[in-house]
Amino acid sequence: METTDFSQPIRQSSKGIIVIFVFNVFKFFKKFFVLFIALGLSIMRGKSFGKITPNLILLSLLTILIIILVIAILKYINFKFHLNQDDFHLATGIINKDKIIIPMSKIQNVYITQNFLQQLINVVSVKIDTAGDKKSEIEISALDKSKALLLKKKLFTKNKSENNVEEAEGQRDVFFKVSPKRLVLEGLSQNHLKSLLGIVAFVFGLYHEFKDYLKQLRLQERIEDFIKQDEDTVLNLLITNAVIIVAVILFSFLFSVIKTFIINFNLEVVEHQKTLEINKGLFNKVSLSLTPSRIQNLVIKTNRVKKYFGLHSLSVRQAMVNAKQQKNFNIVALEKEQLNYLITKLLGDYTETGEKSRPQSYFMRIAALKMLFFIIISNGLVVFLFGKEMLWINVLFIPYAILYIYFSYKKAYYIISNDFVTIGSGFIDTTTNILEIHKIQAVRLKETIFQERRDIASVIISTASKAATIPYINKLEALSIYNFLLYKIESQDRDWM
Amino acid sequence: MNFTNFQIQSENLPKVENVELKLISKSYFKIIAFNKLIFYAALIGFVVLAKYSLDIIKEIEINLWYILPFIIGFCILNFIIALLAFKKRKYAIREHDVLYAKGLLIHSMITVPMSRIQHVEESRSWLARHFGLAALKIFTAGEAGSDLIINGLPHLEAKQIKELISAKVNGNN
Repeated sequence: METTDFSQPIRQSSKGIIVIFVFNVFKFFKKFFVLFIALGLSIMRGKSFGKITPNLILLSLLTILIIILVIAILKYINFKFHLNQDDFHLATGIINKDKIIIPMSKIQNVYITQNFLQQLINVVSVKIDTAGDKKSEIEISALDKSKALLLKKKLFTKNKSENNVEEAEGQRDVFFKVSPKRLVLEGLSQNHLKSLLGIVAFVFGLYHEFKDYLKQLRLQERIEDFIKQDEDTVLNLLITNAVIIVAVILFSFLFSVIKTFIINFNLEVVEHQKTLEINKGLFNKVSLSLTPSRIQNLVIKTNRVKKYFGLHSLSVRQAMVNAKQQKNFNIVALEKEQLNYLITKLLGDYTETGEKSRPQSYFMRIAALKMLFFIIISNGLVVFLFGKEMLWINVLFIPYAILYIYFSYKKAYYIISNDFVTIGSGFIDTTTNILEIHKIQAVRLKETIFQERRDIASVIISTASKAATIPYINKLEALSIYNFLLYKIESQDRDWM
Repeated sequence: MNFTNFQIQSENLPKVENVELKLISKSYFKIIAFNKLIFYAALIGFVVLAKYSLDIIKEIEINLWYILPFIIGFCILNFIIALLAFKKRKYAIREHDVLYAKGLLIHSMITVPMSRIQHVEESRSWLARHFGLAALKIFTAGEAGSDLIINGLPHLEAKQIKELISAKVNGNN
């Protein structure tokens, strides 16, 4: 029977060798991806680099794999961790021995994740986040699930026992569980403009990368031949174009749905007494806990279509969480009531009352300038890439620009209440950013030389996670907000964390 | 309390616009000027060098002498703006916060409450030591945007401010 009290130095599950091995192989191939492509292509062409034969390549590949395997085994053997009264100890390193000691009180968060491979061999990885810089995260890549949960519990209970936070761990209340139907809706109603642009960029990048290769296949000539046959009628050309456009749009829909599905599969929010736990993921399962005291901003996103279906997404920005994990603190497909409940749970007595104030109309001028810049740049690109015939695309660009100016101004507002600042923004999405006044780190007033003449200024509010901006308001108002926020922060003497 | 309530109350709040901001030490402009001079000297030197090396190759027919007036013009403009902007670099220490304003084209004023300061640092470059100046760096837990660096303080004053802030920060905890 294995000891599970963690007091003696133990290794991870022996399956860890597989995880480390596969991970390193993957990393290796990713690093030399371009080289492999080049090699593969030259082999396919039947050429050889000097004296390198396919057999030799195979042999060297095998050697590399064996070396990686040996390294993985050594890594596994040298990776030991244990717990004592107040610290977490970890010893790693094959040649350079590292000994890491983390005081339990400094542990910020413990994540349990499980990627596809780990799901196959039934282990989980435990990530320990400390309050240091971005690189200080520690990962134990293969543990049995029960062990991992025990470790997490031990790390947390010792850490929080004086705060009585995780006392009632026993009661597990699944507050919210997403249904597949709602996930599909969520994927469908996303802002497809972004994924469309992503796809176009991706295809272009691929095309650029393999241009020479494609030329050899004489694909272009074939396509031209194909088009020439149909060129007799303009109608046919139009149909071809329409088919391509519809295909791309369908593809981006599919892409969004699949992406949403993979990331948020089986999303559930579990309510503990004071914390929330988020579980989700298909290939890469993650389990995270949220502590209200560490929350800096709440960002709520929805759009017109999503509102119709009652879909809201809530992303929670926390202090001292690295950017990679930050993305995971996102709960999608929430009903309005569920959303309100979560906000109250996380922020206490938040109410969206108070007078909505709006930026000055100067906001539209800046938006118009931005759009002008966008149109000039994109026109330049279009002419450069496709020639002057493609300038008709401005039929799409100009309404987009006008809609952008109108809606982004219409959706911009801010509310300052006693304890909260609420800032609304967005163009296609409707974004609401909520932050607590006592968590503000610094306040900044910004105005350009042109705004100074018009008595316009922006207020930038920095928290420990991200800055929020109240754009282009009357300077007197900006100053009074500035003074009010500072007064609130300095007079309350409340801790920001 | 709602928004209108706050506006009435805001009359009595301590006003940041009434704070008397202090200019930083004048000799800091020498450091700015020195840095800029080095940059432009290097740029002009590079252009001249490029001109001569291109003359030898004689392949690309660009008359680089046309570029020089542009650089010099830009240099002069940059110096004028730097001189005007220098007068906008002001700071103030209040009982509960530190203020710093700067910028001519884009003017910004940042305030960091004492209770949010994580640590203070006083650093002196080689040039700054020569002029008896120091830079005060104030770090918060926020993103890079909320950190504060006041350049060109007299060394003694920087030291005093640093000690004052340190005492406040440690006293709070």
